[in-house]
Amino acid sequence: MKVLILTLKDLEQIVNDRKSLLFLVVMPIVFTFFMGIAYGGSTTTADTRLRLAWISADPEAPLAQRLFERLAGSATVNPVRMAAAEAQTALTNNEVAGMLIVPGGFGVEPMAAQPALQLVADPASVSGQTLYRTVQLALTEWLSSAEIARLSVAAAPGEDPAQTWQIAFDQAWAAWGEQVVSGRVRVEQAVAIASEAPFGGNPYNQTSPGILVQFAIFGLVSSAQILMQERKLRTLQRLLTTEMRPWEIVAGHMLAMFAVVFGQTVLLIALGQWALGVDYLRDAGATFLIAIALGLWVACLGLLIGVVARSDDQVVLYSMLAMFVFSALGGTWFPLEFAGGVFAAIGGLLPSAWAMIGFQNIVIRGQGLASAWAPAGVLLAYALGFFGLAVWRFQKVIG
Amino acid sequence: MNAIEVRDLNKSFGKVQAVAGLSFFARQGEVLSLLGPNGAGKSTTISMLSGLIEPDGGSAEIFGHSIRAEPQAAKARLGVVPQEIALYPDLTARENLIFWGKMYGLRGAALAKRVDAVLETIGLNGRQRDRVGTYSGGMKRRVNIGAALLHEPAVVIMDEPTVGIDPQSRRHILDHVKALNRAGATVLYTTHYMEEAAELSDHIAILDQGRVIAYGTHAELIAQSGGLARIDLTLNVEAERVLPAWRSVPGLAHLDVVDGHVTALVDDSNALLPRLFELATQAGARIMTVDIREPNLESVFLELTGKALRDEA
Repeated sequence: MKVLILTLKDLEQIVNDRKSLLFLVVMPIVFTFFMGIAYGGSTTTADTRLRLAWISADPEAPLAQRLFERLAGSATVNPVRMAAAEAQTALTNNEVAGMLIVPGGFGVEPMAAQPALQLVADPASVSGQTLYRTVQLALTEWLSSAEIARLSVAAAPGEDPAQTWQIAFDQAWAAWGEQVVSGRVRVEQAVAIASEAPFGGNPYNQTSPGILVQFAIFGLVSSAQILMQERKLRTLQRLLTTEMRPWEIVAGHMLAMFAVVFGQTVLLIALGQWALGVDYLRDAGATFLIAIALGLWVACLGLLIGVVARSDDQVVLYSMLAMFVFSALGGTWFPLEFAGGVFAAIGGLLPSAWAMIGFQNIVIRGQGLASAWAPAGVLLAYALGFFGLAVWRFQKVIG
Repeated sequence: MNAIEVRDLNKSFGKVQAVAGLSFFARQGEVLSLLGPNGAGKSTTISMLSGLIEPDGGSAEIFGHSIRAEPQAAKARLGVVPQEIALYPDLTARENLIFWGKMYGLRGAALAKRVDAVLETIGLNGRQRDRVGTYSGGMKRRVNIGAALLHEPAVVIMDEPTVGIDPQSRRHILDHVKALNRAGATVLYTTHYMEEAAELSDHIAILDQGRVIAYGTHAELIAQSGGLARIDLTLNVEAERVLPAWRSVPGLAHLDVVDGHVTALVDDSNALLPRLFELATQAGARIMTVDIREPNLESVFLELTGKALRDEA
């Protein structure tokens, strides 16, 4: 009970300190948005596909429209209807990656030979090659559907050719569309498929957990200072003259630090989930487990800093040092996959990296609770180590 | 049973022996003062009795409970007023008292009642909602004391509670110690102000270099020193010019020079002073100032150790 009273007192002091609230609440929110924008997206709904100018000499042709819709539904190309002059200007200004010229007569007479389409794009660029492959695929499906329709007409001489052609084309076209969606290979046992888009298509999938972990560590400044103040104000010595045992005092402060870090983590998870489209609640249990383990690790690190530091300045210094080392090397600022082998190997040993792995397994890789046990275990092992060091040092301080 | 029983207590910090075989006791319901200069071992003794530091040897008991074997039982009977202010400046006086009351095991209505009573006692009812950080030094001292009294401890340990405060707050604190004692509490009071020890104490233990060098009531200690008066003099020349002559004067028990000031312990100042003036004149010196103090604890300390209490304070 006295442990909780001490915890509540610490929390009251932190809440009363406006500077703490700035560090614990305002700054992480601002930085999350800032870093998200820096990683390439101001909103999660922005269309990042390659823009393709669609220039049609016969815009009313229904079968050409089918091709347009197929391209519009692709994952890589965003066709935009434009006049020829407008498209030329957009291409010059790099507002579009290329332009597709659909000649007059394309798709007007289904059973007639179709004129060739013309794609204008830089064949040496990745975007040009991507446009070519996407248009080629859609056109192949279109021509294939038309050929199936032609063969169907030939196989049913008594039927209305136009109607037979249209029905066969529609069925073949629809079948091609389903092929794209369902795929031809079924995966029976595997982890969830990682999205090929960076950070699962949402830059906040990196920045939200990154800032969350970074500011959890930065929050040490506030929480470690409470213990430092306790020593400086001599209230720690006074506490030791009461019936409270030393371990109860350590536990009371540690719980307060944990509550601060956990509260901040929950706040940033809520922000990520409901404002930034980061799907932490894909598996709430896994997210909760990582958040608890992160809170305990950071709280124990804060406890150690609060015990080791001899002044407020040292608390800030050690906390900043911890934040920079654990954040930079732990992959909170940029994914460790982007770093060199040695850097990534060293970073992979740090608890911050394991916290990132834990969160990213959930929000990027779509994994569940099973994927959270290993990161949580590593974080808890670090927490235990730091707690042991803090208690050992605390005995020396009060002795 | 004695409220406090200390036997052969020892504590060293590296090569410095802060407490060396210290023994004393305090009867239930009395005020015992530990009097001594800075570095005499008072605060180290208090820290050991409060459970803050482990003794190297010896024993200490609070109402029969050993501070080493039964620290929780001993602490439950203790209220410790530390020398430094030990409060949370960003909390109000009331919030501080509530927190410390809870730490001493008080809850609910009993806690609120005790907080109100203590605020009344320390005279801070009107400013109980102000943050302690905004208080004067004297007001902080009063809250510092109040926080140790919430659980109505049987033994109150006060470590130099009047250091660095204004005379009005000092008076308030001394009156409060007397009131506490009248209410039945045993008080262990450390100070290097002999006036405080003389005013408050039933018994006084004089400490020097970590051990008790004298123990008794105020009157007993004065008698132990032979009832010597203290005379402080300053001369217009170096003291060494007159010291040989003065040392031959009968009735002069002790003569010392510190920073050019001469201190003498004498049995009868009225009879001796004319002779001192006469010898000074013969040596070509003039006495510029004279300060006579009738026998007190300071002269006892001077007599016992050969040095002044406040020289090291």
